[in-house]
Parts: sequence; C-alpha cells; structure tokens
Amino acid sequence: MTTKQKQAVYFQNVSKIYNTGTIALNHFDFSVEEGEFVSFLGPSGCGKSTALRMVAGLGSPTVGEVTVFDKTPEELIKNTNDIAFVFQDANLLPWRSVLDNVLLPLELRGGNKKEKQEAAVKVLEMVGLKDHLKSYPRQLSGGMRMRVSIARALAAKPKLLLMDEPFAALDEITRQTLQMELLDIWEKEKMTVLFVTHNVYEAVFLSSKIAVMSARPGRLSSVIDVNLPYPRELGMRTDPAFSKYVDIASASLENHEHRKETV
Amino acid sequence: MAMSEMEITKKQNALAAAGKKNKPLGTTFKEMYLGPIVAFILFISMWQLIPLALGLPHYILPKPTDVLEATVSDWALLGEAIRITIFESVIGFLLSAVIGIGVSVLLASSKILERSIYPYAIILQTIPVVAVAPIVVIWFGAGFNSIVVISFLIGFFPVISNTLMGLNSVDKNMDELFTLYNASKWQRMWKLRIPAAMPYIMAGLKISCTLSIVGAIVGEYVAGIGGGNGGLGYAITVAAIQVKTSFLFSCGIAAAILGISFYLLVSLFSKMMLGSWHESAMKSEK
Repeated sequence: MTTKQKQAVYFQNVSKIYNTGTIALNHFDFSVEEGEFVSFLGPSGCGKSTALRMVAGLGSPTVGEVTVFDKTPEELIKNTNDIAFVFQDANLLPWRSVLDNVLLPLELRGGNKKEKQEAAVKVLEMVGLKDHLKSYPRQLSGGMRMRVSIARALAAKPKLLLMDEPFAALDEITRQTLQMELLDIWEKEKMTVLFVTHNVYEAVFLSSKIAVMSARPGRLSSVIDVNLPYPRELGMRTDPAFSKYVDIASASLENHEHRKETV
Repeated sequence: MAMSEMEITKKQNALAAAGKKNKPLGTTFKEMYLGPIVAFILFISMWQLIPLALGLPHYILPKPTDVLEATVSDWALLGEAIRITIFESVIGFLLSAVIGIGVSVLLASSKILERSIYPYAIILQTIPVVAVAPIVVIWFGAGFNSIVVISFLIGFFPVISNTLMGLNSVDKNMDELFTLYNASKWQRMWKLRIPAAMPYIMAGLKISCTLSIVGAIVGEYVAGIGGGNGGLGYAITVAAIQVKTSFLFSCGIAAAILGISFYLLVSLFSKMMLGSWHESAMKSEK
C-alpha cells in the first residue's frame, strides 16, 4: 500500500445495533484506498452488507462514522454521482427497456438528453449489450440482467462502485465471465470497488484486499492483502499462489467459526 | 445400429409432422371450446323444453324463443335503454377512474394525509351505495346527474383502495435505488410508484367498470328518469310492473352482455397499458 493514495472509504469505530437489539456490526475500523478492489468476505450475519449499505447512505451507524471521499455518504449522494450501488438481484425496472433502465440515473439528475443517451449506449456497449437496447428485463437471462444493472451503475461515472453479492444468484460459468468483465472495467475506469461476497474464491480472484469478517456480533477479523498481479486470468485459479490466498482466507473464516462454537 | 438410428429419425419426423398439423387445430378446439359450446346448447334446449313440458305460462318462465321474440318486438325500447345505460355508466366509470387515481396519488404523496384519510376511505367503501342513493337524489335531483353520481360512487372505492395499495407496494430495493440517485418526491412518484402501481390500478379499474353498470342500473331504479328517456333500470322497473317477464329476461341478458363487454374492453386496455413487461400480462399471453 502506498501512502500517497487518497482514502476512499473510512469506517471509524462503526457499530450498528438494530431496534431488535441485534448487533449487526461491532467496533468496525477499516479503510479503503482510492483505486483499490476490496472485498468484504464473511458468513451471513457478519454485517458485511450492513457495512456496505452504510457507505451508500442506506442506513447510518449507531455509533461511529463512515466517510466517503472525506464527506458523509448523504452529502455525496445529494450532490454527486460518485457512489453507485449494484444489488444482489439486478433490480431493474420491469416496465423500462434495457436502455431506459440505464438512462434512469442520468434522468434523475437532469441534463442534456442527447449526451445522456450517448453515455448510456456507451456503457451498454462496455458490458456487451449493444444489441439489446430495446429488450425488456424479462426477456433477458440472469447474467444479462446483471450486466444491465452494472451498466446502470456505471452510467453516471461513479468513483466508488458498491456491489452487494452481485453474482451470488448466477451459475458458475456466467459468474466467471462477469468477474473477468468486472475486472476489465475496474482497470479501465480506475474506480474504487467495494464488493461483498461469501465466496472465498471470488474474493481472492477479484480483490486487491480482503476484509474477512465474522458473525455474531459482526466484526472485522482480519485483513488480507492479495498480492497477485492484474490483469488476472481464469487460469490463475490453479496457481499455487492463488491457492495460498484461498487457504489463508478460509483459515481466517474457520478460525472464527471455531472460536464461536467453543466460547 | 444404422437401422435403428434411421427408425428413430423417421419416428421423430412423423411425430414432428403430427405435432405441427393436428395438435393446434384439433386438440385446442376440443379442449377449449367444445365443452362450453355443448353445455350452452344443452342448457338452452332444457330451458326451451321444461316450460313446454310443465305447461308453464310465459309470464312465469318464458322460453328462449319468447325472450327472443320480446327482444325483437321491443327493440326500439331496449336499444334506447341500453344506449342510455352505457352513456351513464361510462361517465360514472371515467369519473371514478380519474378522481380515484388522482385522489390516491395525492393521498400517497403525503404520509400524514394518507394515514388520516385512508381508514375512512375503507369504511366508506363498506357503505351500501343503495342505502345512500336517496340522499344523492335529494342533492342532485331526479335523473341523469344522480344516476351518474351513484355509478361513480360505486366504482370509486375499488379504484382508490387498489391504487393506494399499488403505490405503497414498491419493491424496497427499487426504492433504495431512487434514494441513491437523490430522486425527488415527484420523480419517485412518476418514475417509480405509479408505474409499479399500474397492475393494481388496472385490477381496480376492472372491478370498477362492472360495478359502474350496476351503479347506473341501481341509480335508475332510485332516481327515475327525470323527464328524459330511461335506461335499462327504468325499462326493468316498467316491465316488472306490467309483468312483461320475457322482456325482463331481455333486459337482464342485455345488462349481462353489457357488463361482460365493458369488462373485456377494460381488460384489453389494461393489457395495452401493462405492455410487454408485467407478470400479470405475461401469464395471459400463454
């Protein structure tokens, strides 16, 4: 990690307690540098989605502070398009065509119509859906819908892309393709990505840094720097170095599972 | 090996050909239409035969032929009555659709308004409109105006309760998406809540369109004709007093056909509005 990089996201001693008394996140301290690809890896109930949603201003911490580019998420959302969010299901509006779905974020902000159209077509081209502009979501496969969802997130040129288990519902082959495409886009667009997953392989394959989290109460258990070179190839999955990181991450997950049982 | 493979190809071709030629025409007709048609013919014949066999007079139970005869001979009266009822119920329906949707959007745009008024909208819905119809007549006078108001009242509440339900049924994730892009209240309303409510609104309109005909006929019973020509409700009242049972049947059947046609028309409109995207429209495609 170089010191000259700017901080993109900073969790400062963040805790989140729901009305039911559940502690979703406990004393979470973590920071993401600009340009990194960071994964939150952990079992369900470890607060990884809660943490991600806070970055988008969807829910605020009970204790502590989340800052994004030195501002509060609410401030950023109000004034800029710096944050984009990709949900687990593609979350497309079924009454809008592919193009209109991607246009939505641009429409909500106002501005020149022709420019918006061009921007939308450009991102759809980037995810390989140029021939489906007029299709409706229900006519597309799960993988294609997720592509539209990613295109929509990219349309407004975000500096920070938040993804909440975006590939969890897809089949393995589609997932691998989309992982490759996502890495391509990340390298091209030079943005920061925060990616939530419970899949160890996915976390290692994509990330430059993994935050391993554990459940009940949700907390950070370890941080792993993945020093594998980019661009990453599918063949890398059989590489010993890749396996080493998978082992480290798995061990970190299991450790805490084990400790939880003995306590 | 080669033989059996050839046989399989042959069988395959034969099956494919059979599937192409026979299935769509033959089986779908048999499965879908034959049953109802046979049942209809049986019903009409029994209806024709039973009064004959029991020697029932036409003013107790008219035969289908009597009803047909009455329809033809009194067509001038019946046709005019149908025309008037259509006019009244269409206006009543349009009013309930426009005002119902408008009021719902207004209510849904403010949580406080909705919370304070929605319960009353529900309670008002349970009031039998027939019970308040005389009040309407006192306020709006005998005839057309009152009839339209009664038709409107009966169709209004299904629209408002369905629309409100739809406007509040927006998917949580989609709502958050709009939050993320800092959408204004009205952007959220026009681009998210109203489109998402469309299937609910259309379901409300389908209920309301048949009710508006009921409302118009009930209105004619209660509000009379106020000097002009009468609709179906009025024709029914007159025919009942004169014990023109065959003509009463004609009026009843005409009202039923009116209701069905109106319903089909609104269904068609609903399919057009929901277009290619919504599941309820998708299912009926199959």
